[in-house]
Amino acid sequence: MSWIDLAFYVLAGIAVVSGWRVFRTDSMVRASFLLLLSFLAVGAVMLLLGAVYLGVALFFMMAVEMLVMALFMVMFMMNPAGLNPMNMVHQPRVAAAAGVIAFAALAGMALVADFPERRPAAGTDVVRALGTELLGDSMLVFESAGVALLATMIGVVVLSARTGRFGPSDEGSCPPGLDPGGLPAGAPSGGEDGSGHGHHHHH
Amino acid sequence: MNEVLLPTLVVLSTLLAGAALVAVLDQAVAGMIAGRPVRGLLSATFARGMLLWLRPDSTTEHPDALLWRLAPAAYLVLAALGLAVVPWSADFVPVRLPTGVVLWGAVEALATVVIFLEGWAPNAPLPLLGGYRHVAAGLSYILVSMFVLIGVALPAESLSFDAVIDSQQDLWNVVRQPLGLPLFLVVGLGIGVWGPLRFADAADLAGGTTAETSGPRRLAWALGRGAMLVAFSAVAASAFFGGWLGPWLPGPMWLLLKMLLVLVLLVVIGRLLARMAPERFVGLAWLLLLPLSFVDLLWAGLLALYG
Repeated sequence: MSWIDLAFYVLAGIAVVSGWRVFRTDSMVRASFLLLLSFLAVGAVMLLLGAVYLGVALFFMMAVEMLVMALFMVMFMMNPAGLNPMNMVHQPRVAAAAGVIAFAALAGMALVADFPERRPAAGTDVVRALGTELLGDSMLVFESAGVALLATMIGVVVLSARTGRFGPSDEGSCPPGLDPGGLPAGAPSGGEDGSGHGHHHHH
Repeated sequence: MNEVLLPTLVVLSTLLAGAALVAVLDQAVAGMIAGRPVRGLLSATFARGMLLWLRPDSTTEHPDALLWRLAPAAYLVLAALGLAVVPWSADFVPVRLPTGVVLWGAVEALATVVIFLEGWAPNAPLPLLGGYRHVAAGLSYILVSMFVLIGVALPAESLSFDAVIDSQQDLWNVVRQPLGLPLFLVVGLGIGVWGPLRFADAADLAGGTTAETSGPRRLAWALGRGAMLVAFSAVAASAFFGGWLGPWLPGPMWLLLKMLLVLVLLVVIGRLLARMAPERFVGLAWLLLLPLSFVDLLWAGLLALYG
């Protein structure tokens, strides 16, 4: 077994185990960054396969993506700062079935499919070849995906902005109570009284 | 064996010696600005490092202990990864990667993750605030950095640092793309948690991400910030000052001199400019720096096409 084989097995192990831990952990932040770890291992496997651009781009994309995901999940959840434990699994039976079916289909494809036997020449510039493909034959698909993503991003910003299309987003909104049925944190309890009290203490 | 050992030694010793140098430089610049005599800085820096090292380790209630230990180490590893793809001469590149420029982009993104996790791991309010502040700043400057780096790769028609340096034979990018270096320096301050962008472990949060950390981990974090600045300086020197190119002296000497220049720039900026309010920086990054980076990219593209 060469060191490349060894590296592959170690990285594949990391990818699978951290992918599994995503669903066993109890925190959104941990789940996001375990998924990132899984993707980093997959990116390294792609480097082993000689995909120098796709592998490194995966590091880059996934790092930003998981960071944004963790940040926004915490921002939009009532769980303060992502620190409280919470169950990371929903509809576990359906999810497990879907996972098994997807895995079987992909693994089956890898085993049965008739992959072409074209070995690239030793000096092939894979980065240039990929660029030519993306902005040549596959340009329509590539650019359509790009424009769709851009439209999604603009849509999300418009919907989530404070001055979004539904008016000021914090108008009438109220954080949950500190005790069941109690007053929310930071609520102007009794209007003037609460804020006046606060002022007093700031001296 | 020499193919593995020598590059590893060069990268690690540059990072560690560089991190110490950054600490000394920082004190020297601070002293000069304040008009204090600058003497005995080396021993004072060493003593401060030892003080951090020898302080008893502290802990918090229910921390993520593994992550708390891993975060400073990961920060150092990322600095080493970034420095490893920078060529020292035409023949000596620790890791010759055709997509080195993209790897540096990944280092910037992952460093933001690591800084956040350093703040998240102790399970305490001030570190967490520091971590979130840095995420907001990081997400803002990573985009700027991406466009600046694409601008640098355009005249080279390649994503490897070899080609980027080679494209500066006649004219350095610092002249050819005048907006590039100033924008990229902002990124350097961010990734090293330095000066005006020192949001994560700032004094106004009583130490922020490091508020609950002491002992060897605290020293490792301080070293990591210096090491990250060193790695950044090597990348900036290669992207904007022609890297190892230069007359008379051998390539590695030129690279080291240019790295020193970038480090001095960063340290002086760090001591002259006050820390911004994080929300003001986010506004500045999205409303001014990002459009400027578009202009930089457009400029680089037009120059590559018609220049």
